[in-house]
Amino acid sequence: MQQAMRPQMMGARVSRVEDQRLLTAQARFMDDIQVPGMLEIAFVRSPHAAAEIVSIDTSRAAQVPGVHKVMTFDDCPYWLWMRGVFKVGQPALAHGEVYYVGQPVVAVVAENRYIAEDAAELVEVVYRPKEPVLDMREAIAERPRRVHPEAENVFFHREYQTPGFEEAFAQAPHHLSETFSLSRQTAVTLEPRGTAAMVDPATGRLTVYASTQAPHRVRLDLATFMDIPETQIRVITPEVGGGFGMKAATYPEDVVVVQAARTLRRPVKWISDRMESLLSDVHGRDDIHDVEVAFDDTGKIIAIRDHLMADGGAFIPVPFSGAVGETSLAAMVLTGPYDIPHLAYTIDCTFSNKTPLGAYRGVWGPVASFIQEGIVDRVARYLKMDPAEVRRRNMIRDEQFPYKNAAGMVYDRGSYLESFERALDMIGYADFRARQKALRQQGRYLGIGISCFVEPSAMASSEAGSVGYESCSLRMEPSGRVIAALGLGPTGQGHETTMAQLIADQIGVKLEDVIVLHGDTDSAPMGGGTGGSRSATIGGGAALVAGRQLREKLAQVAAHLLEAAPEDIVLEDGKAWVSGVPERSLAIRDIARAAYLDVKRMPGGMPVGLEVTARYLPPRPITFSNGCHIAEVEVDIRTGVARVTRYVVVNDCGRLINPTIVEGQILGGVAQGVGSAILERLHYDENGQLTTTTLLDYLLPEATDVPRVQMAHIETPSESEGGIKGMGEGSLIASPAAIAGAIADALEPFGGLVDRLPVQPSDVLAMVGRAAS
Amino acid sequence: MAEASIQPLTVTLKVNGRDYTVTVEPRWTLADVLRHQLGLTGTHVGCEQGVCGACTVLVDGEPARSCLMFAVQMEGHEIVTIEGLTPEAGLSPLQEAFHRHHALQCGFCTPGMLVTATALLNQGKPLTEETVREALSGNLCRCTGYQFIVDAVMDAQGGK
Repeated sequence: MQQAMRPQMMGARVSRVEDQRLLTAQARFMDDIQVPGMLEIAFVRSPHAAAEIVSIDTSRAAQVPGVHKVMTFDDCPYWLWMRGVFKVGQPALAHGEVYYVGQPVVAVVAENRYIAEDAAELVEVVYRPKEPVLDMREAIAERPRRVHPEAENVFFHREYQTPGFEEAFAQAPHHLSETFSLSRQTAVTLEPRGTAAMVDPATGRLTVYASTQAPHRVRLDLATFMDIPETQIRVITPEVGGGFGMKAATYPEDVVVVQAARTLRRPVKWISDRMESLLSDVHGRDDIHDVEVAFDDTGKIIAIRDHLMADGGAFIPVPFSGAVGETSLAAMVLTGPYDIPHLAYTIDCTFSNKTPLGAYRGVWGPVASFIQEGIVDRVARYLKMDPAEVRRRNMIRDEQFPYKNAAGMVYDRGSYLESFERALDMIGYADFRARQKALRQQGRYLGIGISCFVEPSAMASSEAGSVGYESCSLRMEPSGRVIAALGLGPTGQGHETTMAQLIADQIGVKLEDVIVLHGDTDSAPMGGGTGGSRSATIGGGAALVAGRQLREKLAQVAAHLLEAAPEDIVLEDGKAWVSGVPERSLAIRDIARAAYLDVKRMPGGMPVGLEVTARYLPPRPITFSNGCHIAEVEVDIRTGVARVTRYVVVNDCGRLINPTIVEGQILGGVAQGVGSAILERLHYDENGQLTTTTLLDYLLPEATDVPRVQMAHIETPSESEGGIKGMGEGSLIASPAAIAGAIADALEPFGGLVDRLPVQPSDVLAMVGRAAS
Repeated sequence: MAEASIQPLTVTLKVNGRDYTVTVEPRWTLADVLRHQLGLTGTHVGCEQGVCGACTVLVDGEPARSCLMFAVQMEGHEIVTIEGLTPEAGLSPLQEAFHRHHALQCGFCTPGMLVTATALLNQGKPLTEETVREALSGNLCRCTGYQFIVDAVMDAQGGK
């Protein structure tokens, strides 16, 4: 116990062990998996938002030399469906009808992708188009029709209000209302999705390579949907080139690839191209919020009412509905870090003829932050108060923790005011207004936007179809080196480094002597994968518990060999010694040797070997990270272009495992926030055609779009193992709101307020134009 | 179209200083031939639309999108991929700088970033943060937010 209090690796800026293979082009990503005889799939996808399938003629495609099979639903009669939860599921290949542009209809399996695509062009599908359901508010009202005849369009509805809401709302001296909207976005992992499957001829077992965040989840879903015993499936995740929530789902293409491999008894692979990605990766956001706020003369916010709506697309992705997640969870944190006593909300999630809505980094957080910070800025502007002062007045005080918000969520301790004040100092808020004023006189429009955020992390009550716990198996080998296997599914977060840091501290071996495995259901214990900012807290917790258990075993053996009491044994620097008597020591590798190769030296009754498996479920259902982002932007009112010029982040995610890795996560999230705030928008036309199907149309932030970010950390420990909180999403939770607020501040002379994301140049020009006319 | 016979051609590609004679269909992209015919899988394909830069290689010393070129165009040109920029043992100074500065997370864009940054450093001009960002603006990264990549490239300038 004493040892855990003086960690050497935890908190250190350790360079990543993953880097070597990635830098030298030795890493194996999905498309680098190449097995002799491997076939490739190209999909024929729906060109219509809504249509009946009159006929499918695959005969010409099947005759193309090199084509092995052309599959329709009849060849792959499976559904991705959370039965019992939702009334509809998605067929792996379209069954009689298509519901969104990009839906897989036919799969062509061929010698290579070039041939498969040639043949796919020869598949003739006759469609009878139907009127698509595209407008969210109309769809909620069941207009123009139901997307699925067997189910109401609204597939999730909820209402809530705090006791006394109506009275408190009515009695407040001031009221404002606003409609906020967030456009559809998608994760755009640089590595597209992909899946490969092959049957082992000897055992009949399936090996599935999946570019996923949740290998055990994919195994479970394939087993359930295709009625295959899970013991017959091994899911391996190769190197995964980004996930951001999008790769936490099981997709129709995964099922088709597995079915093709089973049917043809050949290895089969599918790699998404970018157009397919933009069409068929789950989308995110696409929310509308009708908001009313009540407040008093001092800027104190009394009540918020919100009608939250989300367009869930045509089907519910498995295992996580983005629409339900973004609304029901956003409603839980709509009051953010502010002490706002009253809340009333109504939620409606609707089907439409668009791509299914799933998880994208932050899910509920960026939505709630955009609304909550937008509300605060409106109150400030209405009362002609400093927006920082309105935040200060409403912020939850230190003595209020644990704080139960108006939605009933309990926040654990954080550094709400402290992070806010420090961020103001870092950006030089006190001097900013004078600078802003001076530059305005020169026709330059600078603005500052403040975003104080709460980041719900490490949901032990399960999120994104995950489980509440995480698992870690540790096996010390006879050499004294350790293999650790976790159920996580990292996509660049550096778990091989951070988990090794935690474990090395616990058992007193060198970092390089701990090898972390993940992403193989045959070697890793059942776990929840990576998502919902759970890996550091829940996965790290499992690593700490397992490390402690292994340390206890090592101490027992060492005590026996050194003729001391186990509680007097110190494990450090690869050695075990008796506390205070360093000369009574032995190498940890000698303990390991005794445990496997010289077992008569083991203490009586102790099992042979040094292996443990631990599962960790945090004590709180959620632990909340927090912090403050402040963005400075300059808006060119002639072109409408907003440029983020300065940016500060004060982040509190509890105890840091590796500050450098935390900073990398923050920087990446801020960049994605720049995208969310000013660039990224999936656009459907009036026929339900997605018109943004290339990266020339769907714009991602480039190096020149992203500011240099100044960061500081505060560490308020959680009650979880190691005091860790999650932090994978906070930077994207906070940043769109910060940038939107900054643009609104810059356009204050024109009365500009931001009510939608992204704010594109045309929106800026419209705001400026409205003021002029 | 699909039924039309596609006549494969034999070309000699000079890649990372070695000559490879390969038989390719005229429509095969350089990226696909590097990856699937030559086994040089360090060149990654991220969009096939010429935007993301993950497939960047050097052609006669200049960064180029291998997804937008056909292998048959490349006869007589010198191609360098990430494999050719990687020393036999250990890391190059630029790779070292990426490691030191935590300039990669998932690592998918990294080979393209290293190739582009190499071309920039090879120009031997003094670098500013602005010029580095400008040079890297054709390579998308979704994980890092670019800051540590910029730091790594500026730091590598000394070691290169």
